[in-house]
Amino acid sequence: MSLEDLKEIPYGKTAIELKNISLAFGGVKALTDVSFDVKKGEVFAIIGPNGAGKSSMLNVINGFYKPTSGTINFAGTDRNEMEPELAAKSGIARTFQNIALFKGMSTLDNLMTGRLLKQKQNFLMQALYVGPVAKEEEEHREKVERVIDFLDLQSIRRTPVGSLPYGLQKRVELGRALAMEPEILLLDEPMAGMNVEEKQDMSRFVLTVNNELKTTIVLIEHDMGVVMDISDRIVVLDYGKKIGSGLPKEIRNNKAVIDAYLGVSDD
Amino acid sequence: MIYKETGQYKSSYKSDHAIFPLLQDKIAFSTLMFIAFLIIPFVINSYWEKAILVPFLIFSLAAIGLNILTGYCGQVSLGTGGFMAVGAFSTYKIMTYFPDMNIMIIILISGLITAAVGIIFGLPSLRIKGFYLAVATLASQFFLVWLFNKVPWFYNYSDTGQITVSERTMFGIPVTGAEAPSYATYLFCLVLVVTLSFAAKNLIRSKMGRSWMAIRDMDIAAEIIGVPPLKTKLSAFAISSFYIGVAGALYFAVFLGAIEVTESFDIMTISFPVLFMIIIGGLGSMLGSFLGAAFVVTLPIGLKFLMVDMVGLSAVTAKHFEITIWGLLMIVFLIVEPHGLARLWSIAKEKLRRWPFPY
Repeated sequence: MSLEDLKEIPYGKTAIELKNISLAFGGVKALTDVSFDVKKGEVFAIIGPNGAGKSSMLNVINGFYKPTSGTINFAGTDRNEMEPELAAKSGIARTFQNIALFKGMSTLDNLMTGRLLKQKQNFLMQALYVGPVAKEEEEHREKVERVIDFLDLQSIRRTPVGSLPYGLQKRVELGRALAMEPEILLLDEPMAGMNVEEKQDMSRFVLTVNNELKTTIVLIEHDMGVVMDISDRIVVLDYGKKIGSGLPKEIRNNKAVIDAYLGVSDD
Repeated sequence: MIYKETGQYKSSYKSDHAIFPLLQDKIAFSTLMFIAFLIIPFVINSYWEKAILVPFLIFSLAAIGLNILTGYCGQVSLGTGGFMAVGAFSTYKIMTYFPDMNIMIIILISGLITAAVGIIFGLPSLRIKGFYLAVATLASQFFLVWLFNKVPWFYNYSDTGQITVSERTMFGIPVTGAEAPSYATYLFCLVLVVTLSFAAKNLIRSKMGRSWMAIRDMDIAAEIIGVPPLKTKLSAFAISSFYIGVAGALYFAVFLGAIEVTESFDIMTISFPVLFMIIIGGLGSMLGSFLGAAFVVTLPIGLKFLMVDMVGLSAVTAKHFEITIWGLLMIVFLIVEPHGLARLWSIAKEKLRRWPFPY
């Protein structure tokens, strides 16, 4: 299974399917029997109250957690668990809820790390820095510069990301994921802690990536306005169980979902 | 004014990614290389060679090695002395078994052997981090020194436990042994240090360096973007140990000539000073490795000159003062400028850029 296989999946067909995923940490059940599928080219949202298991779900998809049971069908292959490296190699990129950038490195270097898997020269060639290495380096720099242009990061190219404000760090993290040229992009609360303008910018970036690059997007977000506006389909989790799924307008009127968010009165 | 970068436009990614992107840096570096290669060899004397230049070059190399591991890859190591001993004893053993082999090749092979040993002692780094890893590398320091002390095969069953270098030549000029002229040992070290420094800098600015820094800054995120942690950490251990091994080989073969392992590669004489070098110089900075090595090598000489020759203290008292001042400086540095001399230098550059018209 490779990136090429994944590209061959027609638009609108299943890109990744999760079947009966359960995940437990000792006695704590983070996920119970959750199934859903993500179609290629859609914006798919996972929502739910705090502690519903949304981030755990993303961690299962990109191999950071190993599910206790269930299968992940990815590009036609059934597997019980993913490996982070395999996920990265097969075109799954992600961002984190609490920004996970390389704080000591500049914006440019952070984005360049997104290209690491695609750089093939061995270390002896790198030490000599002869022809092929320099050429490879320039090719990837060009790709990264496109991401920099797209996300308006030109002015902070050389700034260490540790000293950037929060909103920009979120954007750099998106940039690092985009530099990987992913087929599936997992975004863990990309708009958390942002003001309205920043949220608008971020929504615009997400939609542009989805429209122009045809990247499949799986998104966790708490801002219901954003979720209802930009996502094609939604799955709702509560206490590790799936309580609803469907189009935004269906979710909006789903009784179980409203109860999970607002609580149920006893009488 | 002096350090002006306005007007220096880069029109290709290649020139933007150069080691010295600024004209001023290029001129400064070329001048330095000109002095180092074409002036110093003609004026060098035994004092400058033995007391300042050769130890500076050798410790620069060791500092680059440790900086790769600790400064760039974030794995703290206290085993520098042990790894330098591996380099030294490899050189000694290869010299015994292959009397005709070229000294340059011997030293590079010693580096490779040290790299292999480094990989073995780097294995725990997958499971343990930070202070705990430092303690694990401390074990390697003690184990290796103990090994070279206890197994007579390493010192060819000599009665004293000492190892002594025999004379080897490059282009007909002896570079090791008592007869080696000052300029020869100096140039031999200089060529190795300059070549290996460029190699290190190239590694750091390409894929390898970015993988190391990714692991240093956030290993979980590094794994998610496809950087294999074990392989990357071990590559840092291997390359770092290679540099430290070459430094150890030079320290024995070119600098000291005869060593006794517990004395020469002790944790207090090597491991801690080299760690100080990269802390004082600047973690994660090539320039810092050189500045730190220069500082640590010249400080005792400067202090001795000041206290014994100028003030007239007795040598013993001066030595006591030296240790005290040393410790004091360490503390001051860590408080005032934790990013080291390299950071001071970049602040100075920032100031020079505006001088004499700071708005």
